[in-house]
Amino acid sequence: MTQPARLDQLPPEMLDFALLKTTGTLAARLGRLSLPGRSNILTPAFLGNTSRGVLPHISPDNFRKLVELEGVYMALEDFVEKHPQKTPPILQFDVPDPLRRFVALPKDTLVVLGARRQPPIATPMSNTNAEVTLSTSVGFRSISSEYYTAAVRKLQPDIVVGLADIPYGQESIGLKRKDKMSDRTESWLRDLIAKRASIEQGDPRFSIFAPILPIDRDLQSWYLEHLVDDMVDQISGVAIYDAYLLDDLPDELHALPRLSCHMPASPQELLRQISLGMDLFTIPFISSATDAGISLDFTFPAPQSAESDSTPRRSLGVDMWLAEHAVAVTPLTEGCACYACTQHHRAYIQHLLSAKEMLGWLLLQLHNHAVLSSFFAGVRASIAAGTFDADVAAFEAFYEPALPAKTGQGPRVRGYQFQSADHGHAARKNPKAFRSLDELAKLKAMHGQQPNRKPQMQDVIDDEALVGLVQMEGVDPAVQLESLKVEDADGDDKA
Amino acid sequence: MAPVPMPSALTFELLAKCSVTKARAATLHLPHGPVPLPIFMPVATQASLKGLTPDQLADTGCRLCLNNTYHLGLKPGQATLEAVGGAHKLQAWPHNILTADSTGSFQMVSLLKLAQVTEEGVRFLSPHDGTPMLLTPEHSISLQNTIGSDIIMQLDDVIATTSPDHARMLEAMQRSVRWLDRCIDAHAHPERQNLFCIIQGGLDLELRRQCTAEMVARDTPGIAIGGLSGGEAKDAYCRVVDTCTGLLPEKKPRYVMGVGYPEDLVVSVALGADMFDCVWPTRTARFGNAITAHGVLNLRNATYATDFRAIEPGCQCPCCRPADAKPPGLGLTRAYIYHVTAKETAGAHLLTMHNVHYQLDLMRRARDAILQDRYPAFVREFFAALYAGDRGKYPEWAVVALRGVGVDLLRE
Repeated sequence: MTQPARLDQLPPEMLDFALLKTTGTLAARLGRLSLPGRSNILTPAFLGNTSRGVLPHISPDNFRKLVELEGVYMALEDFVEKHPQKTPPILQFDVPDPLRRFVALPKDTLVVLGARRQPPIATPMSNTNAEVTLSTSVGFRSISSEYYTAAVRKLQPDIVVGLADIPYGQESIGLKRKDKMSDRTESWLRDLIAKRASIEQGDPRFSIFAPILPIDRDLQSWYLEHLVDDMVDQISGVAIYDAYLLDDLPDELHALPRLSCHMPASPQELLRQISLGMDLFTIPFISSATDAGISLDFTFPAPQSAESDSTPRRSLGVDMWLAEHAVAVTPLTEGCACYACTQHHRAYIQHLLSAKEMLGWLLLQLHNHAVLSSFFAGVRASIAAGTFDADVAAFEAFYEPALPAKTGQGPRVRGYQFQSADHGHAARKNPKAFRSLDELAKLKAMHGQQPNRKPQMQDVIDDEALVGLVQMEGVDPAVQLESLKVEDADGDDKA
Repeated sequence: MAPVPMPSALTFELLAKCSVTKARAATLHLPHGPVPLPIFMPVATQASLKGLTPDQLADTGCRLCLNNTYHLGLKPGQATLEAVGGAHKLQAWPHNILTADSTGSFQMVSLLKLAQVTEEGVRFLSPHDGTPMLLTPEHSISLQNTIGSDIIMQLDDVIATTSPDHARMLEAMQRSVRWLDRCIDAHAHPERQNLFCIIQGGLDLELRRQCTAEMVARDTPGIAIGGLSGGEAKDAYCRVVDTCTGLLPEKKPRYVMGVGYPEDLVVSVALGADMFDCVWPTRTARFGNAITAHGVLNLRNATYATDFRAIEPGCQCPCCRPADAKPPGLGLTRAYIYHVTAKETAGAHLLTMHNVHYQLDLMRRARDAILQDRYPAFVREFFAALYAGDRGKYPEWAVVALRGVGVDLLRE
């Protein structure tokens, strides 16, 4: 339960986690995460899952104005692409609180920093005793535990997730490898704690979340024992890589906040993790729904349905690519208070998607985050009211079990956003923009306002002007004259 | 054809004229509010300015933006526009909209020989399904009436200014005049939408003079100079603008279509033009280029990876304004733009905001200078900053054009 007595024993900048309500060891719980200077976070809650320091599609000014999120997750691998040949730029940014300043994050937003993006991309090289492999926008890199600690100290996030040795992308992991995972994670965490102890009094400190590996308790028992015996006073939370192993968590760690690094694929999976006692999440399916043009459309608790069991279950999202929305001047979700729903309507968003205008993704992203914010508020209210289990059951009965499939085309996919292993066999990530060289040269010659005047314009394809030209290639207008239809019947005889 | 008196849905309030050049400062009162002239109008081709929300666009100071008639006619289409209630409602933009279709797409289409221009209109193939389509002046106006834009443009017959075919140029000019008459006849809402004519005639000053006389006689609320910025030499461009503005009535707004670069704006204002549009500032933003008073910075260049200065120090756009300023800005650095540009869509949004702000602010400062009757000094300062004071680098065309209106850039 709550431990208010501990609060005044803590140094002023330490993270505090108060458990406001627990209903058992493997059960949903309510908490409050607080850190001086930052917004309090009532848990269960979710963090904004950033890419290169921004919530995808949401520029920092819009983040301030239009998004309600108390915390974000960032990945060091998004900032260190030139390592080790060059010192990453952000480590040369010589101001207080450089990471927050660099990405223009508001002062009261909590920053959780980990080594890898959520979800991480499997790397071809494996981790070693000394180094963890990262995937950056320019390729795979390795960093040592010392480097991680030094970078973290420089960047001054509020919370750091300790390095975990997890061989992503490996189908099965041998027993010996699992031993190594636990050994390495233990020594890296010990290192992080020791280095932090060397930070001088008065200098900014960070809180540490200890990784809990996605392997059976027996196999990481050595690590967990040390965690409980030597390090428990030094850590402020745990980062859980397999939510279904939560019952293996040692009792001594129960009062700590739990960050899920086990990516939920659906709201139902989120609820399952919450019902096991998870507190904090990053939710990649929000951005992937946005990119797919899907407007999330669910609430927790689910709406009261008077209908019988035979009615089909409601979809978790609306595919905004569909032409049926083209003239709908209704919000994405009736009653939603987000910017997209209060300022715009389905018709516009459908138009933006089909015209591939970036604003479409921004509006969906704002809405989808607002849907999750309301969802979590509903979860907390339900836990407080003691109706959580029943509400989960009702939710599962009301909604389809998975998000709708993607039909439309998303934004251009970047290399750091997909599995490199897919390169060889999978279909193109992005549709082919141009066909023959001939065509390209012709289009180039015609683009822009002043061909070839400025070197930087020479290679620029006029993407606006090209709309409308596609597929008109090679058609002789004269051939088509016979079948011409006159669009404007009044206009043809007035000359 | 006899001139038809035409109602107008605008008021042109001339505030000051430069005592040296032909520059003018004015306020143009449009159905969705007043806009300051001279003005740069960003191009929201498909009813969206490249990732910016209407609020973000308004925050740059924009009160008049462009939509493209042709693009909106294809997507979302006239039926949808009708159902939604026009382009203002479609994009939730409470300010003014100008719709045009000649500068960009149609010029391209005709240049590519993918369209055929006849007296009836422009024939082309639908990019959706390849069916042959015919766009007539009547259809263009009907579409723009449905769009509900505050300023609508006539359908014109545009050919490349660089075309050597004088007969075709003459035909295009005369046809544009005939099409203007058809547009005027077809215009259903002259009391709330302002039809602008478009002067054609290529680089032939005599054709331009004839066309100007014909079109001025038709008394549209505003006048555009079209067919330019299609690859012609800049000095030829300046002669056309100078010739046309010399023949235009003082009390009407003058819009030079498809322009452009900051130096084009500054010179064109001196030549007596009031309104400009161009996709370049927003397009170049998406390629990582930031417009500054000292030239364009390509922030994808690795030298900016560790440049922790603002995109343009002193700039008042939301990206550049320091976090401790009032009102607070984002205080973003060039290094950050380097970090996100071309990798995150938000990087494009940020530079788009900066570039649009730059263009609007340039015209704001030009207007202030005209109001204080110090536009020649403003022009000198502008070129001195752009070329770091090196007069040897000043473009010849700008020097010549400005000399023609009484400003010698090479002499104090």
